[in-house]
Amino acid sequence: MKKAITAIIAVAIIALMAFGYNQAAGHRAHSDEQAEMNPQEIIFEHLGDSYGWEVPFSHSTRIPLPVIVRAQDGSWHVFMSSQLEGGAQYDGFQIAKGGDYNNKVVQILPDGSQFRPVDLSITKNVAGIFIAALLVVLMVFKVKNWYKKNGMKAPRRFTAALEVVVDFVYTDTIRPIMGKEAPKYGPYLLTVFFFILTMNLLGLIVIFPGGANLTGNLAVTAVLAVITFLVTNLTGTKHYWKEMLWPEVPTALKCPVPLMQVIEIFGIFTKPIALMIRLFANMMGGHMVVIVFMLLIFIFGSMFGTAVGAAMTPLSVALSLFMLLLDVLVSFIQAYVFTILSTMFISMAHVHAHAE
Amino acid sequence: MELFKPEFGLAFWMFIAFLCLFLILAKWAWPFIIKSMEERADLIDKGVAYAQEAKSQLDNAKAEADKLIASARDEQAEILREAAKMRNELIEKARGEAADEAKKVTEAAQVSLEQARKEAEKQLRTQVGDLALQIAEKVIRKNIASDDAQRALVDQYLSEVETKN
Repeated sequence: MKKAITAIIAVAIIALMAFGYNQAAGHRAHSDEQAEMNPQEIIFEHLGDSYGWEVPFSHSTRIPLPVIVRAQDGSWHVFMSSQLEGGAQYDGFQIAKGGDYNNKVVQILPDGSQFRPVDLSITKNVAGIFIAALLVVLMVFKVKNWYKKNGMKAPRRFTAALEVVVDFVYTDTIRPIMGKEAPKYGPYLLTVFFFILTMNLLGLIVIFPGGANLTGNLAVTAVLAVITFLVTNLTGTKHYWKEMLWPEVPTALKCPVPLMQVIEIFGIFTKPIALMIRLFANMMGGHMVVIVFMLLIFIFGSMFGTAVGAAMTPLSVALSLFMLLLDVLVSFIQAYVFTILSTMFISMAHVHAHAE
Repeated sequence: MELFKPEFGLAFWMFIAFLCLFLILAKWAWPFIIKSMEERADLIDKGVAYAQEAKSQLDNAKAEADKLIASARDEQAEILREAAKMRNELIEKARGEAADEAKKVTEAAQVSLEQARKEAEKQLRTQVGDLALQIAEKVIRKNIASDDAQRALVDQYLSEVETKN
């Protein structure tokens, strides 16, 4: 009985969606500007950064965010992104369309050429990062305050869920790998884990305050990878560097031609680059597939007519939903993988004696 | 492809945000959480160990109690035996003492009896001597002519003596 009701409701929702699509398509057919749909542009618009934050059900209304740019003459300009809406120019700045700086703020110089200023704007992604950081602080302090208030009592509900994750990451992963040094590097690794996890999950929520594709952005993952790289190499022991620069291999492999050294030093850089690319590609790929599945409706609609597009809706929604659910899992796994690999890189840089 | 060109502004803010987040959490949250979690894990471990120990102690307690009862019984029997022995000894001793006392009393009685007898003998002898002397005096005093008269006199005095005694 319950199953039957669920099925009926699902069919009704899907039928409504198909109907809605039909209406929208009809409306669009009647409107004057029937723009050619460009899936690539839509995908990259959704995955990329922007100066305002979109709100649901409207493509033009955006939550304004501050734009902070340094003009060519060295002066700083701060204004809200709403000033640049619809290609408007403000203070000589404008969002470029096409060209090298597509969708970025550029300064229009007197001679008409575009100059890309130093751009420290609080864009959608930056705001998303701040929100994620704030959420992490709130969550972690929730756990901390529980311990402070209730001491040895076991936490309940959300705090308990958080504690399980902390326990899983710290006690079951960091401590076995790092051993005695776990308390020293635990805070960094736990912060990395929770920050990535929060950013991943926020990216899956389609409306504000989610929807910013944070970890699917190379700049974000690059910063995380660089920090791990710095921690790994700045805290490396003498033995770690010795292994790298004069490894215990037959002399022929390291003396006239520094083959091993080249490989080892190459390895230092490939590790964080792999971290960066892995997180980026996984999250961006997931988002992209979700969008592509949704776009299938419109692609089929424009190719074979409205009816085909409408018929495509249930399948698209089902596939998108499946991908989103999969992405929830991927969010956790990727945050965990980044953390465990960082842990291993750091602990590998802390070798002391040769284990014969 | 905008996505593959890292934006400086985004990286900058990301770095700042991460740094702030890390500093705040590393200073005020993580060490405390880790410490508390470890303390609680220790507490739970200790609790489990304690419970196990308590259970084994409980299991042992019955055996120990039985042992204790058995040993108490032994002790009780020992005490009773001791008491009986002591009582017997006491009785023996008392009996011995009583016998000694009785013997002493008997001896004393015998001694005093002997003395009394000796006294009586002595008295008797003195009296018999006195009587014999009196009789002899009276016999002599009366100048007895005949045997009969003498005999009658002796009888008379003897009966006198007898009545006197």
